[in-house]
Amino acid sequence: MLEISDLVTAYGKIEALKGVSLQIAGGRITCLLGPNGAGKTTLMMTIAGILQPRRGSIRLDGAELVGLSPARIVAQGVALVPENRLVFPQMSVRENLLAGAYQRGDKAGISADIERMYQRFPRLAERREQLAGTLSGGEQQMLAVARALMSRPRLLLMDEPSLGLAPLVVAEVFRIVADLDRDGTTIFLVEQNAHMALQVARHFYLMEQGRVTFDGTPGELAEDEVIQRAYLGTRRATA
Amino acid sequence: MDDYLIGVLSNIGIISFIALSAYVLLLTGEISFGQQAFFAIGAYASGIATALWHWPLAAGLAWGAAAAAAAAALVGVPTLRLHGLYFAIATLAFAEMVRLLFELFHYQVLIDGELVGPNGAEGFRNIRYIFDNNIDATEFLVLVYVLLSATLLGFFLLERSRLGVIFRMTGEDEVLAELSGVAVGRYKVLAAGIAGTLAGIGGGLYAHLTTYVEPRIFDVMLGVHSLAYGLIGGLGTALGPLAGVLIDIGVLESTRWFAGYRMIVFGGLVAVLLIVRPRGLLDEVVVRNIRKAWRRTSPLRLGPHEKQGQP
Amino acid sequence: MTDFVQNTLDGLMIGSSYGLLALGFTLIFGVMRRLNLSYGPSIMVGAYLGTFVYVQFGASPIAVAALAVAGAVLAGIYVERLCFAPMGPGAGIASMVSSFAIWMQLEQAAILVLPRHTYPYPPLAAVAPLMLGPFMVRLDHLIMLVAAIALSTGMHLLLYRTRFGLALRAIIGNPVAAHLVGVNVRTAMLGAFALASGIGGIAGYLVLAADQQVTSMFGMWATIKGLIAMMIGGLGSIPGAVLGGLVLGIIEMHGQWYFGSQVRDLIAYFLLFACLVLRPGGLLGDAPTRETAAYGRRA
Repeated sequence: MLEISDLVTAYGKIEALKGVSLQIAGGRITCLLGPNGAGKTTLMMTIAGILQPRRGSIRLDGAELVGLSPARIVAQGVALVPENRLVFPQMSVRENLLAGAYQRGDKAGISADIERMYQRFPRLAERREQLAGTLSGGEQQMLAVARALMSRPRLLLMDEPSLGLAPLVVAEVFRIVADLDRDGTTIFLVEQNAHMALQVARHFYLMEQGRVTFDGTPGELAEDEVIQRAYLGTRRATA
Repeated sequence: MDDYLIGVLSNIGIISFIALSAYVLLLTGEISFGQQAFFAIGAYASGIATALWHWPLAAGLAWGAAAAAAAAALVGVPTLRLHGLYFAIATLAFAEMVRLLFELFHYQVLIDGELVGPNGAEGFRNIRYIFDNNIDATEFLVLVYVLLSATLLGFFLLERSRLGVIFRMTGEDEVLAELSGVAVGRYKVLAAGIAGTLAGIGGGLYAHLTTYVEPRIFDVMLGVHSLAYGLIGGLGTALGPLAGVLIDIGVLESTRWFAGYRMIVFGGLVAVLLIVRPRGLLDEVVVRNIRKAWRRTSPLRLGPHEKQGQP
Repeated sequence: MTDFVQNTLDGLMIGSSYGLLALGFTLIFGVMRRLNLSYGPSIMVGAYLGTFVYVQFGASPIAVAALAVAGAVLAGIYVERLCFAPMGPGAGIASMVSSFAIWMQLEQAAILVLPRHTYPYPPLAAVAPLMLGPFMVRLDHLIMLVAAIALSTGMHLLLYRTRFGLALRAIIGNPVAAHLVGVNVRTAMLGAFALASGIGGIAGYLVLAADQQVTSMFGMWATIKGLIAMMIGGLGSIPGAVLGGLVLGIIEMHGQWYFGSQVRDLIAYFLLFACLVLRPGGLLGDAPTRETAAYGRRA
């Protein structure tokens, strides 16, 4: 569904993405692992159109996304749940959801979707008039996901949804991710928490210092010793 | 040299002081719309010293600079916690207060049957020191540029000193500077004092050149201009603000066919320039490249960095 | 006592136009996180356009008002396109300096076209002042107050009941997230600018019609009043802008009554300075955080 070819994004002279190529297939979860500073968020921001790449292409079902404004990219059916949630702090939960549906005109459909979000995320339903800035980290994460879903995206991008959250909350977040997967949503997930990602994702990429260094299945990931030690933290007796 | 050129050059020199005053604060990362207040204090204080108290010029200028420095340091303290836009507007408010206070300030002394001294909104006339002592225009021009050169030398040394590094560190990231052990508050007040001194010197020179000052001169326009010079000319070096002053006063003032349209042209040019070079002409990157090129082509090895074996 | 109430009433009314000026200022700042120093001058362009048709063609007050607003909006769009739209995210200072340069440009252009120090403005209501008991209320001042209430209410409705308002609130809340939900931020910012200029244009017209003249100092005056009122009320706060304007108006009126106009201005600036040092967030705004204070820091 999403094809990224040879993408280069730079901040001044520093290249954060040094020619990244990967494919996201439709209807399943693809996960991008990698340490801090690898360029994962830069990649997400570039796909979303917030950052402009120097070179390369991003095609969504054949349509080129590079060069489009962020608003046009949302119109193409891409929604990003950003790192650090970025909720609208002075707006209520309900207004945040409405904002997520900004480009839609079907009032009835929007209302129905909001109700659906309340069912899927009960904690948000309890706090529907509460200001988003006063929510806990986990609640804000739910809200950020729900807000992104309000645009009924074809492709959902999620940047480190477990960041800064307690283990119980992380489990809840990944339960939601698994639910979305079951519903057929295409998800491109960036994570540092490889353990949780292994439970939901069907394909993995690893990014280090702006380059893709691994491309394979969960099985292959679990077998690779270097990655094992670096990211999964398992200790294995060297055979 | 004809009188008009001398006049323009003197003006450039004097305004450079207030441009450099704003520049010092920009180094520490703060925008000030209010350096004209210290320019005014320097003007009035030195004028009072020479015209009312019969002090010699040097003492009068020093007194003006000291008064301005003290006022600047004093204002620097309550505004320490302010940053960015809040600080900038506070400086604007302060400068306008100073201007309005000068409009209410009367201090006149009878000299030779005439009342001399600041007279509120009517201003301060007869700051006639240079005429009474037969200092001609050329001599005064030399004085201005001697002081300016000394100031530039000071900046040159500052850039290469620990203090200069501290100022730029504070300008880049104040929190990081504090964590690195810099007593940021003290240095900001110091910077404010230095800035005030520079503006005060400029003000003193201005008062004696024109022999007449009034509060209306020291308005927001002057303040924003002095800030703009640095932001247009570039903040990589003390020559940046000077470049800004030179462009504004030098080129446009003396091309008389611009006369009525000067600001229309200048304003438009500045706006376009800032789109292309938002950090000014001589910004840090340009200055670093110039320095690198200079080091490469010059047979002279300047500075301690060269001794580390860098080819 | 009568004087006190009379001054307070007058202060409320003139303060309402300060509030409108502050409203435009704060809208631009809230949305763009940048200070527009050309705000007053662009209103002045509209004001000069209005006086021009009045003096040349004897236009009616409605025509003058319409042109004053239109002129302000056009000038505002000019400023936005030149000083704000082309600048990248880190160039807040450059935008501000650029807006200052254009301030000078607009002022000089206006003075070239209309060189005299003062020009007449048609009065808003050529009737005698109303008497409410012992208190005198000028009709044009009353219109000012009503207009301010109407515009603030309209602004509130716009922000909370329209799609454009949602876009603005999203940008004010978190600019990156606004992009991510599909708001066309550049267009919304242009719209905010035009709206702010329009409100400023109305405020300017009301003040000038009450004064029955426009002077060449008007641009600076409008910027300063708007700025002070905005900071007192709280940077980026819409109700704060209105409240700040009213407070400023009342304090000015009393200051002028007891001490004269020079001290009046001195008091206004002192109020601003004290407010910034003691309570930078103003009456209704939030205390500045490191991020908000960074707007305007050379970085």
